[in-house]
Amino acid sequence: MFLNSVVLILQEILEAALLISVLLAFTRLRDVGHRWIVAAIIIGCLGAFLYALNMAQISEWFDYVGQEVTNAFIQLSIMLLLSIFAARHLGRPDHQPSQGHNREFILCMLFIVSLALTREVSEIFIYIGGAITDPSNVQPTLIGAGIGAGIGISAGVLIYYSLLGLPSKWIALTGLLLLSLVAGNMASQATLLLTQADWLPYSRILWDSSELLPENSVLGHLLYALIGYEATPSLYQGLGYVIGMLLILIGTKFTVWLNNAAPKS
Amino acid sequence: MRSIRVFLVASILAALTLFNFVAALQGYKSSLHEAEKLFDDQLLHTAKLIAKLPLDQDTDSLNHLSNFEYQVWHNNQLVSASSNTKNTIITDLFPGFGDANFNGYRWRTLVYYDPKNENWVIAAERSDLRFALAENVVIKAVLPIVLGIPMIGLLIWLIVSRGLKPLNDLSQQLKDKQVHDLTPIETPALKRELEQVVHSINALIGRVGGALEREKRFTTDAAHELRTPISALKIQLHNLRDELAVDSEPFLQLQSGVDRMQHLVEQLLSLYRSSPSEFSNLFNRINLYMLAQDVIADQHDVFENKHQNLSLEGTDCFILGDSFTLSTLLQNLLSNANKYTPEGGNVLVSIEETDSQVCLKVEDSGPGIAPEDYNKVFERFQRLSNNPEVAAVQGCGLGLTIVSHIAELHHANISISASRFDSGTAFTVLFNKAFKTDAQPMQTDVN
Repeated sequence: MFLNSVVLILQEILEAALLISVLLAFTRLRDVGHRWIVAAIIIGCLGAFLYALNMAQISEWFDYVGQEVTNAFIQLSIMLLLSIFAARHLGRPDHQPSQGHNREFILCMLFIVSLALTREVSEIFIYIGGAITDPSNVQPTLIGAGIGAGIGISAGVLIYYSLLGLPSKWIALTGLLLLSLVAGNMASQATLLLTQADWLPYSRILWDSSELLPENSVLGHLLYALIGYEATPSLYQGLGYVIGMLLILIGTKFTVWLNNAAPKS
Repeated sequence: MRSIRVFLVASILAALTLFNFVAALQGYKSSLHEAEKLFDDQLLHTAKLIAKLPLDQDTDSLNHLSNFEYQVWHNNQLVSASSNTKNTIITDLFPGFGDANFNGYRWRTLVYYDPKNENWVIAAERSDLRFALAENVVIKAVLPIVLGIPMIGLLIWLIVSRGLKPLNDLSQQLKDKQVHDLTPIETPALKRELEQVVHSINALIGRVGGALEREKRFTTDAAHELRTPISALKIQLHNLRDELAVDSEPFLQLQSGVDRMQHLVEQLLSLYRSSPSEFSNLFNRINLYMLAQDVIADQHDVFENKHQNLSLEGTDCFILGDSFTLSTLLQNLLSNANKYTPEGGNVLVSIEETDSQVCLKVEDSGPGIAPEDYNKVFERFQRLSNNPEVAAVQGCGLGLTIVSHIAELHHANISISASRFDSGTAFTVLFNKAFKTDAQPMQTDVN
């Protein structure tokens, strides 16, 4: 129970921590203040609580695949929001943003983090809520959750300060690359969930690296949380991953191109 | 990073937590493995013990153990068993440890062959209970690591705060430094890391002080040197006017230009005459109301010429200050009001006191100043020329700089706001009160 708690909570927290640390680094680059993150965490946790509370009803939707479909919908929404965010705000690092532009920048990040936390933290609530119904599981579950959360948050803090330690240009570039991995991960997970819900057909396995790096190894768990590593990904998952990444990278590049093509005043 | 303290505490704590928790997980896995070995050893000893017991020995005591079962086989015949395993064989008779499922649980099994009695002993323990027992013991070892993190965080915070104290002290010392204080920073026990910073700051202060002194000396000397030729020039102009009886426009402009130059020189001299080194701290107790009366009386003609209504209202209010510079302050404020107030306009000087302060206010009914320009008016040689009425007025742009400078020397606070008239500006100077007076308010119409 202890190890299960560590693994599950670490995966969920690490996914969120990576996203938050990258967005916070962009916040620092833009110098718009960090207060939005407090609001995003509160909204996300409240959303997660309500989502977990109503999970029984949600699961009955769409012929009892409501949980998978709703989760997939949230993942795809985050991916699309990340694409819009990257295209509108990361393509022009030298651009002096207006107050309205900054407000949109903050609102966009607030939505992304709130949605991500709603999904990730709801999983934690559901798991812990189920695990501690047996009194003998309370201590190992909670200690495991504490260790998982501690490792996830610590990794997030270290990623954030490591990003800030880079030169400004590299912060933007590395942050963009990490965001594209997050978006790819979201799309891949959404594809898997929709396949499980029978909304997408099963597709052939792209490769099998379970011998080389099993998913249930420590590194496998870490890579799953950070970049959505799967030992046996399906074709649709792979496609989803690539599309998610490209949406971020091409969207940003397109903004740069538009900016360069626009007549200079 | 915006705060060194937050960066240090957060990153150190994150690194410690990460490595501590990963170490705890590693410790957990190793401890569980060791516990498994210990339980296996214990199972082996129990199996050997059962093998040594005579077959007719009473083994009821073993039957009470809910997590333990055993069977003894001899020549493929079950000769002895615990109460729950009398019907079927637990596992195949291959010597060694293994796992098996029976009675609805997963069991850790050991098959032991006793060559002396030719008996096969099968001993089994419930895997879930073994694991729960081992995990319970290991988690008790992990718990302090988790609970210790907040304590470590607090400790790191205190240590980092202590380490940053010299930096905070230096920062506070710089913050507390008065504007004109150009003495070097002195820190009794300077930390090695800050030595270079303090030396550089002190060198910078020295250079700034030197530059300011040179600038001041140059301006004062230049003003002094210019004073005499300008006075001579004025006399010559006066004589020329008498001799030639000229009153042409170019001559009047020449005279006006010389007057403006003299005014500029006088203002420059009064600006530096009131610098802190010359000013000293020998303030006298001054009745600001009386001083205002004197200054207004001196300036009466100037206001009379423009048919302006100059009023003074207030009470006897006492402050500690220098009468000469305070007169200059009020003269400049009145001169400013006179220049920018149209003919027939109003200028009001009021002096009031509160519990701890004396307020000197000069209000006019001129065109006023836009709020966004309030900060600019005290800058040297700054003249707000957006307004055509203001631009037409002659001045050198030093009067209000001198006012601000004198207010600063008296530790007074000067501010600008709209006047009580339909248009115009109010300059408010707040002085610290010398002591309380019981004078009654009075209104004097000077004009």
